[in-house]
Amino acid sequence: MGKTLFEKIWESHIVVEKQNNPTLIYIDRHLVHEVTSPQAFDGLRQNNRKVRRPDLTIATMDHNVPTTDRSLPILDQTSSVQIKTLEKNCKDFGIKLFDINSPNQGIVHVIGPQLGITLPGTTIVCGDSHTSTHGAFGALALGIGTSDVEHVLASQTMWLEKPKPFEIRVEGKRKNPHAVTAKDIVLSIIKNIGTGGGTGTVIEYRGEGITDLSMEQRMTICNMSIEAGARAGLIAPDEKTFDYLRDREYTPKNYESLVDSWKDHLKTDNDAKFEKEFILHIDDIAPQVSWGTNPGMTCDVTDSIPSPDEFSKGDPNQKRGAEKALDYMALKAGTLIEDIKIDRVFIGSCTNARLEDLIEASKVIKGQKISPHVKAMVVPGSQMVKKQAEEMGLDKIFINANFEWREAGCSMCLGMNPDILSPGERCASTSNRNFEGRQGTGGRTHLVSPVMAAAAAIHGHFVDVREMDLS
Amino acid sequence: MKGNIIKYARDNIDTDVIIPGTYLKIHDYAELATHAMEGLDPDFHSKVKEGDFILSGKNFGCGSSREHAPIALSHSGIKAVLALSFARIFYRNAVDGAFLLPIEIEQDAYDGISEGDEISIDVSINEIKNITKNQTYKMKPFSEIIGKIIAAGGLFKYKPDQD
Repeated sequence: MGKTLFEKIWESHIVVEKQNNPTLIYIDRHLVHEVTSPQAFDGLRQNNRKVRRPDLTIATMDHNVPTTDRSLPILDQTSSVQIKTLEKNCKDFGIKLFDINSPNQGIVHVIGPQLGITLPGTTIVCGDSHTSTHGAFGALALGIGTSDVEHVLASQTMWLEKPKPFEIRVEGKRKNPHAVTAKDIVLSIIKNIGTGGGTGTVIEYRGEGITDLSMEQRMTICNMSIEAGARAGLIAPDEKTFDYLRDREYTPKNYESLVDSWKDHLKTDNDAKFEKEFILHIDDIAPQVSWGTNPGMTCDVTDSIPSPDEFSKGDPNQKRGAEKALDYMALKAGTLIEDIKIDRVFIGSCTNARLEDLIEASKVIKGQKISPHVKAMVVPGSQMVKKQAEEMGLDKIFINANFEWREAGCSMCLGMNPDILSPGERCASTSNRNFEGRQGTGGRTHLVSPVMAAAAAIHGHFVDVREMDLS
Repeated sequence: MKGNIIKYARDNIDTDVIIPGTYLKIHDYAELATHAMEGLDPDFHSKVKEGDFILSGKNFGCGSSREHAPIALSHSGIKAVLALSFARIFYRNAVDGAFLLPIEIEQDAYDGISEGDEISIDVSINEIKNITKNQTYKMKPFSEIIGKIIAAGGLFKYKPDQD
């Protein structure tokens, strides 16, 4: 029987395999950031251990860095300590660090691919759940906790029970690919399979609806695999993948021969079997807007908010969850999504802060001003994205529309730096999680695509971007 | 293991409500614990007692890979979380550091156990006893390796070669 792409990568990384036990797998790349690593380095010191492969370990600071003027000192003392601690740890253990002043600094999942560090067929880990992003390149990319970070630093391996392969086929063609984006595809998937729908699996996204996407759009899809509970998300590499990674700063010297070895091998065989399947047809899907407090609580922009009964389909826990979500979000069932007014707009995060996201959003706002009651910001995913966008003049388009144009980092996606919502504020956000308090205590998050966020900024409420000319 | 139940009768308790992002900068676990569950239940810190258990629905611990989530619960006194299912990174983090027992339960236990009930858990026979209501439920057994890691006191104390 043939093998899935996941099984091929898995099998080529086995170090120890014993029946009824987890498998020890080799890790090709370890990405490190300031929040989930300090205790891991402390653990190494306490046990007199070294980092086994500092050459395969890359660090940056992204989660709690300020996105304002980088020449000023960091006011938040605890953030400052975490940032200095990472600097010290990288120095002590010989790890390459892209620090706060590096032109390569940025969200770890944005810089990995951008620098050619993320490669097809490899295993990648990072102490961050959105590591799944790198799966867009056909890498098996896993988010891990701090104990596993320490284990990988010490041994370049980790123990893992083999996840099950899950096929998600995305069929059809979007009628308006500028208005209906990768974010809308992945939110539609999660709306259908639920936030636990991928638990214990590695999703492989396949079909015309996936191969049609650019690499940056594919990253948006794989990024949110974790929001469906999956261990990882994967897309088989193709010419778009190989072209994207060619001539990056850290692209291997023998790249063309690697591409030759990947071409025929890194794909699921025709007779391979998946343990689970789901098909999404995208011909007619609409832009998506989340209304609740998990990414599965999402509907079309043209819909009204479902009642807890409609949403839960008889499941009492789901019903209670929906009631609590509506209460937290201060929304009523039956309200049209387009009637929801917003206070803030956040274009950023590892889901949607790459160059293409900013280009698409800029088309919506060009020559316009944001609604006077809205505060809006763009936080590029990396300093390199920021520089490229500035070379294209995108910064001026955003600034002229009264957006704030910031330095790179995770920012308002998770409320660890000063960029947070005030209690009760409602935000159209291009990030990945609408959990209670995620963007700041009492803040209310609606997950949308960059174009939907930009349009909401202009109008002060959600609008259907299919009605705009975005070509 | 004996303790009282704090019940959150809903699915998808996420890591951001277990420990909000703003506290991930705290390295003192005792201080971290004072913010456990703050995003969902501001009274948690005042009501939790050493040895308590949390009971919840499906997909407990979904979201971030922050190990701070099981650490904050553990340092609040929580010895086990009983849930219909767990998000895998939370489950793994809980076991890796032996912070608390992630116990998968069936619907009967979820429905039968109420807030405040005193229960005892015996993992050697996969049994949960509700002392308050005099009921007994089965828990899903830990896989062999998970059981061994927990018994050893976490990933770094477990030595596979000694098997």
